[in-house]
Amino acid sequence: MDNLDENEIGKLLRLKKYEQPPPGYFENFLHEFHRRQRDELLRQPVWSVLWQRFSDSLFRLNIPSLTSYPAAVAAVLVCAAVISLKVYQTPHSPGVAMGDSRALLSNESVIDQMQAERVADNFTLSSPLATRSLGPDLSRQTTESAYTHRATTPPRYVLDRLPVSYEPSFNF
Amino acid sequence: MDQPRTDEDQGLVARAQSGDAAAFDDLVVKYSPRLYGLIYNMTSNHEDTNDMLQDVFAKAYRAIKGFRGKSSFYTWIHTIAVNMTLNFLKKRGRRYHLSLDDVDASIQNDKEFIELTSTSSPVREADLSELQVRLNEAMMKLSDEHRAVVTMFHIQGMPHAEISKILGVSEGTVRSRLFYANRQLQNYLDEFRKNPVG
Repeated sequence: MDNLDENEIGKLLRLKKYEQPPPGYFENFLHEFHRRQRDELLRQPVWSVLWQRFSDSLFRLNIPSLTSYPAAVAAVLVCAAVISLKVYQTPHSPGVAMGDSRALLSNESVIDQMQAERVADNFTLSSPLATRSLGPDLSRQTTESAYTHRATTPPRYVLDRLPVSYEPSFNF
Repeated sequence: MDQPRTDEDQGLVARAQSGDAAAFDDLVVKYSPRLYGLIYNMTSNHEDTNDMLQDVFAKAYRAIKGFRGKSSFYTWIHTIAVNMTLNFLKKRGRRYHLSLDDVDASIQNDKEFIELTSTSSPVREADLSELQVRLNEAMMKLSDEHRAVVTMFHIQGMPHAEISKILGVSEGTVRSRLFYANRQLQNYLDEFRKNPVG
């Protein structure tokens, strides 16, 4: 008698596919599956069932994909708000370019020096026109303005001026 | 054995993932005969197979939302079935008893069966039920991993590549296990040939 070769073993094993469960087994299998699922569901605590249903509903609505767009929009809005706040807080400096207030504060000695020079100019005799004053000095120098407010408020760069008067300049 | 069309599964899987229980039922109906054969031939016990198959589908039902489609559903569900069965067999150890299904009467018309019973003495000399017991005994003498490969290749008709995907090993490993298992089966069945009545 010859030995079984690999091919014959394969054929023999393939015959095992004829080993089948009892008739009607697969028809009942699904019912049994449903019954076991229900039993398992009943054994679970209520919070677990509720959570599962909640997550199911989220999954059905595909919430994660829906939330990605509003999240992106919200992120853009927050960025825009932060940027606009920064822009708003940045002082306007038309004409007087003094971008950094810290630079101004650090120049206190320069300001003092300029004031001293101005006072000295008022008492000079060399150029009366240049030093003539028609009363109190109505215009404020930029340095004065900055110097006055530097301790409590951010430095101001807009010159304070008196409103235009429609009255005649000279009184007779 | 023909493999089911996996592209048909995509729609069912998508519906099942969105909570359509009927779609999952369709998958159960479609795959339960194949998976039954896989588990049955690894356990050689009808009751164990029934329980295992229920557990496999219960696990698949719980996990289907996490199925990302990196492999086909066919591969995925077979991987679950094989892994769960191998774990079960490790726990069961060597304590087992054969609880075999009836051999379908249509085997008498099978071309290979006719050929084997007319030419091969071990098969010709044994009656059908004895042959079934001998085959299953021989299968149970294989290690669990070797039996899984033999079941998928010879009985389920899967290609080596598919088996390697399901087991997560290389095709070379699959071929090697198959070769070794065939040699072992050959030895066991030769004993059966020399001593047909056991």
